[in-house]
Amino acid sequence: MLDFEEELRKFHPSIEVEDAEEAIFSQDLTDIADALIQVLEKSKKSGE
Amino acid sequence: MICYKCGCTLSEKDFCTGCGADVGMYKKILALSNRYYNDALDKCSVRDLSGAIVSLKQSIKLNKNNVDARNLLGLVYYEIGEVVEALGQWVISKNIRDSKNIATDYLDVIQENPNKLESMNQNLKKYNQSLSLCYQDSLDYATIQLKKILSMAPKYLRARQLLALIYIKGEEWDKAKIELDKCLAIDTKNTMCLRMLHEVDTMLNPVEVNHVKGKKNKNDEHKVQVYRSGNETIIQPINKSESRTGITLLNIAIGLIIGIAVSYFLILPARIYSVNEDANNKISMISDEKDKKTSELEAVELEMTKLKAENEELKKYQISDGEEGGLSAYDVVMDAMNKYLENTEDIARVAESLEKLETPAGLDIVNKSEAFNTMYSRLIERAGSQLASFYFSRGYDSYQSEDYEAAVPNLERAYYYDKSNGDALFYLGNAYRRTGQDDLAKQTYANVIDHFQGTESASKAEIYLAEMNNE
Repeated sequence: MLDFEEELRKFHPSIEVEDAEEAIFSQDLTDIADALIQVLEKSKKSGE
Repeated sequence: MICYKCGCTLSEKDFCTGCGADVGMYKKILALSNRYYNDALDKCSVRDLSGAIVSLKQSIKLNKNNVDARNLLGLVYYEIGEVVEALGQWVISKNIRDSKNIATDYLDVIQENPNKLESMNQNLKKYNQSLSLCYQDSLDYATIQLKKILSMAPKYLRARQLLALIYIKGEEWDKAKIELDKCLAIDTKNTMCLRMLHEVDTMLNPVEVNHVKGKKNKNDEHKVQVYRSGNETIIQPINKSESRTGITLLNIAIGLIIGIAVSYFLILPARIYSVNEDANNKISMISDEKDKKTSELEAVELEMTKLKAENEELKKYQISDGEEGGLSAYDVVMDAMNKYLENTEDIARVAESLEKLETPAGLDIVNKSEAFNTMYSRLIERAGSQLASFYFSRGYDSYQSEDYEAAVPNLERAYYYDKSNGDALFYLGNAYRRTGQDDLAKQTYANVIDHFQGTESASKAEIYLAEMNNE
């Protein structure tokens, strides 16, 4: 039997249009490629 | 694919031919991002939108510059009603690549239609409001709000899922199933929807689910027929069809019994009542006709009796044509004529003879032979005035001696033989009045007034008539 309260917690408020700008700017755009580059540069510096 | 360090186009080698940087791992990460993007495309083609979102998020997590993945993620968000999420992805995509980017078109479409955007924003606000109402346990109001949202945006997945959850909470399983089916039409593999649908199916068909569970647990107790059709293996329980057949036969039998019972308790009494009513109507009609005929017969019999009585009465006064020893009318006239010719002054004898011709209907002579009429006319021409005087004298005497009963026939005869005798008519009216024959008296007074205008009799008749009318 589903627990209504538990299931309800899985629903989150939708972002409204007024909050779109803040939502876009607050996104963490760091990707794996960035992390890899940082790792490669660090390892290169430590090798030198 | 370009080098992350110098921007040169990379070759098939694991290092950059321009700057010598190690790009082997970098190329693998980008390839993996593209692989996730392709996986998302496959999932979108079967409307597995939630699976596509996961893949696309992985894709842009591996390579934030994967514009195609971002654009597709925006489209998927837009499809399930998450407008702001979609706008965010398209804005970032446009910032990464300003030209030759489909995201620009998507953004233009939305910006060109601000009313639509405002409507979508209102739906988002209402959804948030409904969610907070659910937390406050105001589920009825939340249901109304969600229905409004879905009437405007039927593909708003989260709103429909929340509505289905509210229905499940209210144990409205059928409604919940409808909403969940619609959710799965939008997003076929949505985990939350599938879980809720399983719950709903369990509640709607507990027997079937238990049967399936039982079959799994007691597989050896149920005989199954396994055969292959093409590439598919079909497992068909043998006894299931038998039980279904039995249930079907039982249902048919129950249906027949119910049908017979309905016809016996509902249709048959109504039919009997209808037939009885028709029969009663016919009986009533026949009875009415019989009454009518009986009354007509009675009327005819009554008339016949009356006519017979009149006939008998008339026979008493009838002067026969010589049969059975009686005198004929002609003989009477002849006798009166003889008496007159014997002695023209002895008018009393003539009158006596002529009185034999009178009938209860009156003094007028009707339906007689031509010879009779000729003879009678000649007699009246000669003796009419004498007869009038004779009868007036007798009538007036009776009147004066207040014997009005005797006065009436004599005065009638006097006026019959002399129509110019106004006094006879006037006294006749008086005699009628005295004997209580008011209608005849009025009629007689009216005749006096009409035919003898200006006479004293007419004046008196007028006064008496007025008196009678005022009584």
